[in-house]
Amino acid sequence: MSRDLNMKVNVLPVLTYNFLHVNDSALQLSDFNIENLSSPKAGDLPAGVSVREGVSFEEAGELFISNKDKILVAKEEEVNPNGVTAARDASQAIRTGMGADVDGLMINMGAGVDVYTVDEGVKVDKPIILRYDMADGQGSLSGQVIHAAKNSEVTVIMTYTSDQEASGFHGVSTRLLAEEGARINLVKTQTLGNGFIHFDDIGGACFEEGGINLVTLELGGSRVWSSAYVYLAGKESSFTNNMGYLCRDDHNLDMNYVADQRGKKTESSMNFKGVLMGTASKTFRGTIDFKYGSSGSVGDEQEDALLLSPDVINKTMPVILCQEEDVEGRHGATIGQLGEDLLFYMQTRGIDEEEAKRIMIKARLESVARMIPDPEIMQKTQYYIQNII
Amino acid sequence: MSDNKQVVADIDRSLYDFKDIENEKDFYRMEEGLNEETVLKVSEEKNDPEWMREFRLKCLKLYHEIKFPDWGPDIDGLDMDKISSYVRHKSEMKGKWEEVPEDIKNTFEKLGIPQAERESLAGVGAQYDSELVYHNVKDEVAAQGVIYTDLESAMWGPYADMIKEHFMKLVPPTDHKFAALHGAVWSGGSFVYVPKGVKVEIPLQSYFRLNAAGAGQFEHTLIIVDEGADLHFIEGCSAPKYNVANLHAGCVELYVAKNARLRYSTIENWSKNMYNLNTKRALVEEGGIMEWVSGSFGSHTSYLYPMTILKGDDSKMEFTGITFAGKGQNLDTGAKVVHQGQRTTSVINTKSISKDGGIGTYRSSVIIQNTAKQAKASVSCDSLMLDSISRADTIPGMDIRTNDADVGHEAKIGRISDEAIFYLMSRGISEEDAKAMIVSGFANPVSKELPLEYAVEMNNLIKLEMSGNG
Repeated sequence: MSRDLNMKVNVLPVLTYNFLHVNDSALQLSDFNIENLSSPKAGDLPAGVSVREGVSFEEAGELFISNKDKILVAKEEEVNPNGVTAARDASQAIRTGMGADVDGLMINMGAGVDVYTVDEGVKVDKPIILRYDMADGQGSLSGQVIHAAKNSEVTVIMTYTSDQEASGFHGVSTRLLAEEGARINLVKTQTLGNGFIHFDDIGGACFEEGGINLVTLELGGSRVWSSAYVYLAGKESSFTNNMGYLCRDDHNLDMNYVADQRGKKTESSMNFKGVLMGTASKTFRGTIDFKYGSSGSVGDEQEDALLLSPDVINKTMPVILCQEEDVEGRHGATIGQLGEDLLFYMQTRGIDEEEAKRIMIKARLESVARMIPDPEIMQKTQYYIQNII
Repeated sequence: MSDNKQVVADIDRSLYDFKDIENEKDFYRMEEGLNEETVLKVSEEKNDPEWMREFRLKCLKLYHEIKFPDWGPDIDGLDMDKISSYVRHKSEMKGKWEEVPEDIKNTFEKLGIPQAERESLAGVGAQYDSELVYHNVKDEVAAQGVIYTDLESAMWGPYADMIKEHFMKLVPPTDHKFAALHGAVWSGGSFVYVPKGVKVEIPLQSYFRLNAAGAGQFEHTLIIVDEGADLHFIEGCSAPKYNVANLHAGCVELYVAKNARLRYSTIENWSKNMYNLNTKRALVEEGGIMEWVSGSFGSHTSYLYPMTILKGDDSKMEFTGITFAGKGQNLDTGAKVVHQGQRTTSVINTKSISKDGGIGTYRSSVIIQNTAKQAKASVSCDSLMLDSISRADTIPGMDIRTNDADVGHEAKIGRISDEAIFYLMSRGISEEDAKAMIVSGFANPVSKELPLEYAVEMNNLIKLEMSGNG
């Protein structure tokens, strides 16, 4: 089916100066094809894990709608920040990083969603692996819901691969619910070809002592959107995010990550490490949002961007929103090229500038790749990094 | 410590909040609303040159075309149909304090302006509503060739061409809706020119008082610091509180020439019915230094982000700011910087305090253009939450278009630590005093940048806000 796309995605939780062009991102495509509307199969599932395949996007969202009061924990005392955009995504079953337009696309296209449920108390020790192996010219749009019932734990690895010269369209929506004491570890590695347009949209919620851990590597694709919105609704719930990215040639990466902290003593930690080369451009939006009632919570967000070419464009929007006295929020960003001291040190040991750059790119990306809990996928990713640089 | 507390209690808001009734006999007040007729009337009142009259009409057209900003605090309560753009005393501007009309003189006496002039300033301009009522510069400063005068008369004098060349070139009326509004109805303000190599040892000050209810103040400040020159300019603002909205949409344009230095300090204490939609911008040439010190305490709603364009190689900028958002206030403040020249450096350091339901937003942008090789930028913003009915939001943006730059950013949001309060209380200090001391300490990086008497005023304002009487 060939069609046009005109979406506004990655809307910043609060708007800022329009001249910065970071308030949102336009996902516009014309005449593109999507033939595949289903998620790859995981094979044999471990005991205590079940899947409903090919559920409609709306039906899969009912899990979140039925838990809406528990996720939103709305308080009358809440005062909105200036330029708030929450109303825009109010129609979503659960708010996601990219927002309501992705829901619209999933529904209009009839994309199928596989709903994985991990039963109460089940701790799955072996990762569930979903492999998207894309062919040249292929279009794919699919989704998952991962529902970890009370005190359960599951690790899901999703890989998106193709030949390096391949082109196509690839869109994924993943929605997560970690109930009381449950933990979802979600790992995504993207090594698509140089002509791929790719988006990865995540929305999640954690109840009391629930946790979501994300590890994401965005290494391929020409135009990439990568986003997550996670509600820390319950007391002592947590969200950690470790992301590595490589943006080269004239590629573009657009991110929107939000930790929405509502419960008491919640904890968020988001780390972004990446490299920009050639004429690549990247927009990073990262928000820690301490809502009223999140007393005792902490949030930390760190960005480390290595710029390796004079023509890269790096935009960074690190936002902290706060309506709670007893919280600690921190953000730090280091953006620049390799330090002269480091280069000098390397050169005294016989390593030239180009080699030094390769070592530093590898070090940044491999520190994230080492978090992949499957040895085969970890090695393949490391091999990819080695090859590409 | 109890003595100290007594001092806190002694500070009275009436220091700024007194009202002088403006009668029809002594004051001319233009009718409320904004249209071509009112703009032409302002132009006529100001005896504008033809180019300025045309400029005002162009700005009015732009004002109607440009949309309200969609990202900042709510300004629905601001109705231009209920704002008078021009209010003035019927007397002329004076160069001698004794000749200033009695009622206006009383106002500025209460605010301590003439005393400050005698003690620590090189020159003073005092604006009351829409017009400057007093302007004076010390003889020795004037002898150095420093020009400090009102903008209107300067437009007809030897600096007419310089003003035409610079007026609203740095802040064009197309910039945003309130820049266009300013261009249409601006009135009052100062023109300062510091000639090449002249170092003005003590500061110049302009004080802006908006006394009329339901009025707007649109003063324009144009400062040109020529090559190698040095100036410290201080701006103070206050108004009594009314139950109708007042508007301040001033514009400050600062030109810092090669190797010159300008420090621009502001203590803003507008009343809490004021919409403060002010625009400030500086252009810095090679080796020039721009320093901003900014304290925002008053206003109902503020949009305030002084901007610096580091055009010349090796130019520098430093912004030190504090914002205290108390009950009923929505203060959206910060800074903007654009690095164009090589080896340019910028340092932004801000502190924000939110209390009693106030909304304090730090908003900034750091742009490093492709030409700004070896540029360095550092941003640090700390916010302190004093309760959970207030808000402290941090919305910084960075746009970096070269690899040959170093950009560091740090933001922290937190509260007064229990340990610090406990420590002070264990030494016999009450909880209330302990909190006030910690907040003053938090604000110290800003107050130490101000001249002593202004640092004292700022600390008093902090104590006033902390005591809940702000």
